[in-house]
Amino acid sequence: MLVSLKWLRDYVDLEISPQDLAGKLTMLGLEVESIASIRPDFSGVRVARITGIKPHPNADKLLLCDIWTGDRTIPVVCGATNIKVGDVVPLALVGATLPGGLTIKKSKIRGEVSEGMLCSERELLLGQDHSGIMLLPEDLPVGEELGAALGADDTVFDISVTPNRSDCLSIIGIAREVAAATGKPVRYPDTALSENDEDINRITSVTIEAPDLCPRYLARVLKNVHIAPSPPWLRQRLEAFGLRSINNVVDVTNFVMIELGQPLHAFDFDQLAEGRIVVRRSQPGETFVSLDGKKRVLPSDAILICDGKKPVAIGGVMGGINSEVTDGTSVILLEAAYFQPSSIRHTARLLGMATDAAFRFERGIDPEGLIRAVDRAAKLIADLSGGDICKGVIDQHPGSIPVARDIVLRLKNVEGIIGASISAEKVIKILEALGMEIKEADDETLLVTPLSSRVDITQEIDLIEEIARMYGYDMIPATLPHIFAASDSSGGRRIETETMIRRVMNGSGYTEVINYSFIHPSSVDDLLLSSDDRRRNQVFISNPLTEEQSVMRTTMVYSLLKNVLKNFDWGRSDIKIFEIGRTYLWESQSKESSELNKAAFLITGRRYEERWNFDDEKSDFYDLKGCVENILDALHVPAPSYRAAAGESFLHPGKSCGIYSNEDRIGFLGEVHPDVLLRLGISAPVTVGELDLDIVTSVAIFKKGFYSIPKFPAVLRDVAFLARRDVEAKDFVAAAQQSRQELLEKVDIFDVYEGENIPDGMKSLGLRFQYRSTDRTLTDDEVNSIHSRIVESITRSLGVTIR
Amino acid sequence: MIPELESLREQVDEELKTARTEAEFQALRIRYLGRKGLLTGLLRNIANVQPDQRPLFGKRCNELKEFVSAKIDQHLAELAVSEKEKSLRTERIDVTLPGRAVRYGSLHPITKVRDEICGIFAGLGFSIEEGPEIELDYYNFEALNIPADHPARDMHDTFYVDEKRVLRTHTSPVEIRTMQKNSPPIRIISPGKVYRRDSDISHTPMFHQIEGLLVDKGITLANLKGVLTHFLKKMFGEETAVRFRPSYFPFTEPSAEVDIRCVICGGKGCRVCKQSGWLEILGAGMTHPQVFKNVGYDPEIYSGFAFGLGLERIAMLKYGISDIRLFFEGDLRFLEQF
Repeated sequence: MLVSLKWLRDYVDLEISPQDLAGKLTMLGLEVESIASIRPDFSGVRVARITGIKPHPNADKLLLCDIWTGDRTIPVVCGATNIKVGDVVPLALVGATLPGGLTIKKSKIRGEVSEGMLCSERELLLGQDHSGIMLLPEDLPVGEELGAALGADDTVFDISVTPNRSDCLSIIGIAREVAAATGKPVRYPDTALSENDEDINRITSVTIEAPDLCPRYLARVLKNVHIAPSPPWLRQRLEAFGLRSINNVVDVTNFVMIELGQPLHAFDFDQLAEGRIVVRRSQPGETFVSLDGKKRVLPSDAILICDGKKPVAIGGVMGGINSEVTDGTSVILLEAAYFQPSSIRHTARLLGMATDAAFRFERGIDPEGLIRAVDRAAKLIADLSGGDICKGVIDQHPGSIPVARDIVLRLKNVEGIIGASISAEKVIKILEALGMEIKEADDETLLVTPLSSRVDITQEIDLIEEIARMYGYDMIPATLPHIFAASDSSGGRRIETETMIRRVMNGSGYTEVINYSFIHPSSVDDLLLSSDDRRRNQVFISNPLTEEQSVMRTTMVYSLLKNVLKNFDWGRSDIKIFEIGRTYLWESQSKESSELNKAAFLITGRRYEERWNFDDEKSDFYDLKGCVENILDALHVPAPSYRAAAGESFLHPGKSCGIYSNEDRIGFLGEVHPDVLLRLGISAPVTVGELDLDIVTSVAIFKKGFYSIPKFPAVLRDVAFLARRDVEAKDFVAAAQQSRQELLEKVDIFDVYEGENIPDGMKSLGLRFQYRSTDRTLTDDEVNSIHSRIVESITRSLGVTIR
Repeated sequence: MIPELESLREQVDEELKTARTEAEFQALRIRYLGRKGLLTGLLRNIANVQPDQRPLFGKRCNELKEFVSAKIDQHLAELAVSEKEKSLRTERIDVTLPGRAVRYGSLHPITKVRDEICGIFAGLGFSIEEGPEIELDYYNFEALNIPADHPARDMHDTFYVDEKRVLRTHTSPVEIRTMQKNSPPIRIISPGKVYRRDSDISHTPMFHQIEGLLVDKGITLANLKGVLTHFLKKMFGEETAVRFRPSYFPFTEPSAEVDIRCVICGGKGCRVCKQSGWLEILGAGMTHPQVFKNVGYDPEIYSGFAFGLGLERIAMLKYGISDIRLFFEGDLRFLEQF
């Protein structure tokens, strides 16, 4: 909220600098986000008096004026017709600068010297009037700078008011806080008014048909009102708040709303059919043209203020164009009401009308401030427009409004929550400074009645917060609590898994990315997912920012492919990235969403950087497979295996695999299908993989022992086999292991070869067998005999030959 | 035979003087000491020596053999030393050429900051809890004392999935889930992704928070100040000034906004701190009694505090990043700097 310090000074003395005041308010929880100085947009303009006027000898439409500047009289040529001798006017002296940059020079106009210029409101940007010279109040001191004389200089705070502090959405509310913090009294505005003899009840009536939505409605009537522009002081107040001046009646209703926090509305009484007010709920589909000229389709249960026949305002939100106060208005009906906060919030939100009035109603206005506000406004309108206030107020109060209740404060709880010892005297002093009443007090408890405007204070903890706030957070000590055992952590194991994956991937040269969880719904089509793939069960966001971000991702792969595309655009062709995050599925059976923790990897382009001592090689499936093997190894995932044909529609069917631990499928790995690359516009081969971290974590062995270092040497035997291409490496290893020969410690594949000297459709596979005994050094004979048996069993079972 | 021995010695002396290379010395060794060598041959002929002179002859022969052997060893050793010195003098590589290891990958800056923060709180005995990102309205709002139509919902631009599900707008629902599962004492932190419907240079629709919650008997606002001051000094340096000021969150009371002295300008006022000299770092407060009631804790027995902070903001301050969107664009030119 924008708060003018000049306005604030009307209600409380400020004896500290704006900066210090801002600091104080911030430390009270009213954060001052910015401080702005307002100065008029002109200089060199003074208050002056016209001491003589005569016709210009050479021009019919010009006047020759003598102007008293406070220290001398100067000649000024002027074309206005609204001035007379004795008028106090703004004078721009030679050298003055006006808004827009015009500089006043000494000149001769049709042969007569002019040493300055008399200004209109508009020329000074002090108002809209350009029909003549601005006439200043008679009592302004002649000779003074106009800005200072009008009090146009001001400092404005932008205060961020938290949603609980509706009482601070008014200048008087801020004044109360300042007063409480500085120990000064608050000066409340004058609401004494004089009424005529005409009883309001003979002019109009108020009927409330929806007391739940509008528990209370007040009306006053003013007659013989002259609609006119507002005086400068009123305009300045509104402008400091950020409102535009409209006319003397509308401006007063806004002024009082800002001053006291009670939104008001003024109707042109002559436009009210049957001259009466009816408050009812809206019908579904009802339409209404609001003050801003827009036709609104109302939600049901909006509050409608009606006359005898038709709606005239959306209660608490905005008035209607059909009863607006215009230049021709002479009778005013002033409304001050209490509307049910959640109803206003509901209506304003559905209509997208975040008006100042709705903002205050939905946060809760002072339930006891209605009369004061309507009287204050009536008095100001009467003062400014010459209107007569009709006798009496209509006060319909059929519904109940929550009001301030007495709260028991236990003094031990003050220290118990705050952790500082604050004396009972200090507590009482703080609460009283905030305008609260201490009804009863003993050694242990206080009975406190909060101020009616503090609708946020309803229970003991609210009082404790007030005490902490006024005592000063900076006065409270900082102490560490006693340490106790940590509670169990559900995240622990999986986070260990993630940390290990980050370590392995970093070491392998992969960079971590984090992508948005939401993606384009067509991603599942781009990945060619089959119609029964459960990853088509996306969670949709009902109010996305863009279609690009409208569903929660069901696989990480798509995001990584998009990263590739963008990095290609940025000139990178060698990419190694990984991401750890979640995917989201809609379980159509249970109608619940589920979240899966995943790690995904991607490589494209060169295996190594382009360097003098690296081979210029393209990356492939095996680069990523190596990383996955390292990860599973580091996590001691038991019995990992890689099974051809991953069954993933977006992977190359011949260059992909499912990843398993025993029979649990823990992920997939493979080259991206060329059709997918084509759809996405990626021009280079890409390998991707994804691991399901929930399953990986559940099978990983976190507590693992160690093998003692072998005492006896190993014996190695290499064999090259000739096999059909479709015989897989794992078949050889499996066949070797099938021999159940205890002395065979390990089988490695050290060479794969196809091409020259190898028949078509065949490949050569070099295997290295490692033999070792735990209790002796093996002899050659011993090894040879076992080895030949194993090799023979392999050739027999796989139908391969020794090369 | 002794004179022959003498002439052999002279001959060896001569040849040892002229030999230069390792090969020449090895040849000498074979020529004199090998199986068919000259010295060996001489000894083999000991039968031709007068029996009474044999011991002396044998002794001289052996002396000569040892002498020759030692000489050759000595020359070889000297040769080896000079070879080594020569190669040390002449062998040179270009040490300024790049090395051969694969470039180490980078961790995302958000991961780095998160790990650092989690580490500090782990040191205070906090353990990690997690919760769903697609969250029930109940956990995200209701249980946290933010009923429907509450103005505090304005503080959250929410993505909705359906009537009862939202993308969580903060990590605070984990507080409720944790308290429902466990009885006090509670001491947890919960990092994770959160979502708000906002997108510009300082807002992304997804970002990261860390939530913290400590519940026990006798926990006070002073403890909140103690724990968070400790954290901020560890995170930003022991000399960091910390400021607590009143604020409002529906699920804590009293609530606080916690600021540190601006790390950019040192408090003089700059663009980053909006001239205030302070940077808002985290929100915190004493858990509201209503929240305790919602999870079945007795607020007359237990008290506690909660806090939440945005990881992007910390990372931006730490690394001087001005555009939050960089975190999620996957741009390797950015990510590889970390």
